Amino acid sequence: MCNNRGSVVTRKDFLRASLALAAVPLLRHVPAYAAAPSSDSVELSEIAPGVFVHQGRVEMQSPENEGDMANAGFVVGSESVAVIDTLGSAVVGERLRNAVRAVTNKPIRYVINTHMHPDHVFGNVVFKEDAPAFVANHKLARGLGSRADRYLAMSKSMLGDKAFQGIEVVLPTVAVDDKMSLDLGGRTLLLETQKTAHTDNDLIITDSATNTLFLGDLLFSVHVPTLDGSILGWLAVIDTLKKRNAARVVPGHGPHAMELPEAFEPEQRYLATIVTDVRKLIKEGKTLEDATKTAGFEERDAWKLFDHYHVRNVTAAFAELEWA
Amino acid sequence: MPCKAHHAGNALLAAVVAASLFAMTAPAGAEEDIWPTLKQANFGDRAIQSEDGKVVLDAPVTALDASIVPLTVRVPPEVKDKLKSLTLIIDKNPTPVVAKIEFGPAAGTGGERSVSTRVRIDTFSHVRAILETEDGSLHMTTKFVQAAGGCAAMNAKDPDTENVDLGKMLVKTYPPALSTAPLFEAQVMLKHPNSNGMQLDIDTGGYIPARFVKEMTVKRGNDLVFRMETTFSISTNPNFRFTYGRGGDNELDVSMVDTDGTVFTAKSQPSGS
Repeated sequence: MCNNRGSVVTRKDFLRASLALAAVPLLRHVPAYAAAPSSDSVELSEIAPGVFVHQGRVEMQSPENEGDMANAGFVVGSESVAVIDTLGSAVVGERLRNAVRAVTNKPIRYVINTHMHPDHVFGNVVFKEDAPAFVANHKLARGLGSRADRYLAMSKSMLGDKAFQGIEVVLPTVAVDDKMSLDLGGRTLLLETQKTAHTDNDLIITDSATNTLFLGDLLFSVHVPTLDGSILGWLAVIDTLKKRNAARVVPGHGPHAMELPEAFEPEQRYLATIVTDVRKLIKEGKTLEDATKTAGFEERDAWKLFDHYHVRNVTAAFAELEWA
Repeated sequence: MPCKAHHAGNALLAAVVAASLFAMTAPAGAEEDIWPTLKQANFGDRAIQSEDGKVVLDAPVTALDASIVPLTVRVPPEVKDKLKSLTLIIDKNPTPVVAKIEFGPAAGTGGERSVSTRVRIDTFSHVRAILETEDGSLHMTTKFVQAAGGCAAMNAKDPDTENVDLGKMLVKTYPPALSTAPLFEAQVMLKHPNSNGMQLDIDTGGYIPARFVKEMTVKRGNDLVFRMETTFSISTNPNFRFTYGRGGDNELDVSMVDTDGTVFTAKSQPSGS
């Protein structure tokens, strides 16, 4: 599975390679299928047996990246496949689907969304032909449904007409109220909703066979965290999740796979710094404007896309903390 | 864009209707100028001096969160006039008039006077502060704010907690650093969703009904600091900071009324000396 070629993996190639490489390290990387826009598949890594992750670019959405700016993955059981997040457009969603098809012909029975943001859900539409269950936190439908017009308008303006083509908002058909297990044959996925943190509809997924934990955007690495829920809630969720004994975790943005508890440390430091700085400013009677100019700026060099999201994070944190 | 027409049920109605026509039909670009219409609706044929230094507006050039954009209007210390009124307008919002303040005898003079709040900005727009001084003359300052938003951008991050503590109000006063200075500062915060009626309710397919603070009165003892009419362009959990004149007792009484007719009141909690 560790072959390095210039084209898409076919099922036959894949099986042959699997046989040839019986012993490989845990974090196997299937490198770089040429990621030219004409390519019909996304780059993949098999981070554990039967667990595949595509790493999106750490960028704002653009015509050039076509909405490929988040991580997405899939897990292959003996009977069926579950896709976890679908990238940010129909164009790249289709390439993700092709990547699944290059690995296995088993039916895609589940498409799971870790939360409502467009870069994780706008590829859902291309999986409709597989007639899967679309599974998400029970609050996702409300969150995405009520923001759909804005998300579509924003994506259209940022992606351009070409990459925007085919995007539809596909809401979940199966809602997870608290926890749910999905049987893929020989392995189950455990889905767990989380309290309001990154958003109010975060969902985490554990693969029983490999103890791989998909964290969605509860974990950012490299890419500055973006706050669209509750900063205190997020820090509380991190405290709990850090103590899990997962073999590896998959962030929503950043590397294919990371290890606990270190994976959370930069994000925890970033969010805690904002809380400390903002609380101090509020105590001193300073304003929201003051906070947007000073709070958390010591973190600037530690993250990509800081200038795009940080002030927004501080604004949201200030509005939350002045009442907390 | 699914923006419904709204009825503020107060004196702002004429401006609402006039501008809604534009908001519904005009493209989102910043080019077309609806200010002449707004000016006529709110000030008629009165002359307005633009950028004459009597009033200054602090606003971010780019607002990363269009649902909570901080705005501060300042009257520089060299302006000695008593103030009569202040109108805050966001040209491209569905209801362009954000707030209209009528100052009372306790508004104060002698030093830099200011009013700050946080607003929702629907799309790239000019934001204006029009100050009326005691002699009845009008003075305007304008900033262009790039705020990517749209009506639906005004969602609560977690609707389940939106109405928790609704009506809780905090009023804080800040004495000046110099004990003889003539202006105090205060902050008023209200827990209130200030719903704009443009948020889709996914369960019903309709819109969450509008409910927002429409009026606020601030008094120092028996003296009026100001009375303000507001619209849903004020962000969730309305938040105001302002200066007021020193008196004998410098504590404040604040009351707000929302579009449901609910009245919220609070007295200031002395902060510090």
